[in-house]
Amino acid sequence: MKKKDIITGLIVIFLVTVLSGYLLAQVYKITRPRIDEQKKQEEQRLYKEIFPEGIEFVEEKEYVSVYDSNKNLLGRIYNVVQPGYGGPIVIKAGFDIEGRVKGVRILEQSETPGLGAKITEKAFLDQFAGKSGNQLYLKKHNKEGTIDAITGATISSKAVSDAIIKIQEKLKSEGTIDTTAGETQKEKEKQK
Amino acid sequence: MKKLIDPKSFTLGLWKENPIFYLMLGLCPTLAVSSSLKDAIGMGVAFIFVLTGSNITISIIRRMVPSHIRIPVFIVVIATFVTIADYSVAAYLPKLHRNLGVYLPLMVVNCIILGRAEAFASKNNIINSALDGLGTGLGFTLAIIAIATLRELPGQGTLLGIKIFGDGYKPFLIMIMPPGAFFVIGFLIALKNSIGDRKKC
Repeated sequence: MKKKDIITGLIVIFLVTVLSGYLLAQVYKITRPRIDEQKKQEEQRLYKEIFPEGIEFVEEKEYVSVYDSNKNLLGRIYNVVQPGYGGPIVIKAGFDIEGRVKGVRILEQSETPGLGAKITEKAFLDQFAGKSGNQLYLKKHNKEGTIDAITGATISSKAVSDAIIKIQEKLKSEGTIDTTAGETQKEKEKQK
Repeated sequence: MKKLIDPKSFTLGLWKENPIFYLMLGLCPTLAVSSSLKDAIGMGVAFIFVLTGSNITISIIRRMVPSHIRIPVFIVVIATFVTIADYSVAAYLPKLHRNLGVYLPLMVVNCIILGRAEAFASKNNIINSALDGLGTGLGFTLAIIAIATLRELPGQGTLLGIKIFGDGYKPFLIMIMPPGAFFVIGFLIALKNSIGDRKKC
């Protein structure tokens, strides 16, 4: 290759990358506010879906506190990132003050479309509501588990279940929300 | 030499040299995204945009780019269009963006797009390159829509998420898993060959 070819090649590739970089910066400037706004709206909508009776959602360091119209604490919404099958899964999980799961939603995921991506569907997520303790495990992984995994997507299903158990454990160790109430509830059920 | 405006640039990629059923390129996103019709349509539209955009751009700069650095230049052009598509879908169609997940940015390395840049746009004028991009893109979209229809319907009993077969239907799950995609693509290629010119295939 001649020296001249190398130099012209360098110039061309430099120009192409600068131009496309500039173009992308412009597109980024236009779309970024909208993307951020969409994310925020989506978040508020998710909070409301997890805690329909919540009126005020206050962001704190590690979680979002949920209050009703009389400023009574209803519970917390936690954000967890759990490795899934196709990448990290960002999960929002609400817990009431008794430590039971209130609702679960998926914020971001890159699981296989049509299979693992089904963890975002209500049929799967609604299984967690009102449950606590070992009930949060998948049926096939724990005798007391009550969660049905998505067919063909055990890894994605387990990631969600693991994430929720992880927060529950954290809640218990902190003891800031009274989690014992949920436990006694479960024991009562057992006695029946 | 090709004519200034050659309608064949458009029709060739649409049917006879369909990227999926004839060239058999870009099968990875086709397998991955064709399990639901909605995602397939979204992917197809993004694909047409990127392919047409990159074809036009590459055709414009084709005489300025020395041949020994053409591949990196093509990749930069394609990546630019893919990123524009990615940002726009994220900003205006966040739901679709969530469903397509990683396959939208992965279009950067899609071999149909790079293939058309190398085989067509770098050798033809702007109008024909645009036609080729539209035709090939539409061919890809129609193919992935056909595959998605034949997978979502038996695999989930739905079309575009709407229940078709009623609640009693037990989904034929293998159809939405990777083997189902191979079955459907195989049958559709056989079908296309039996309609078209069999000797040349």
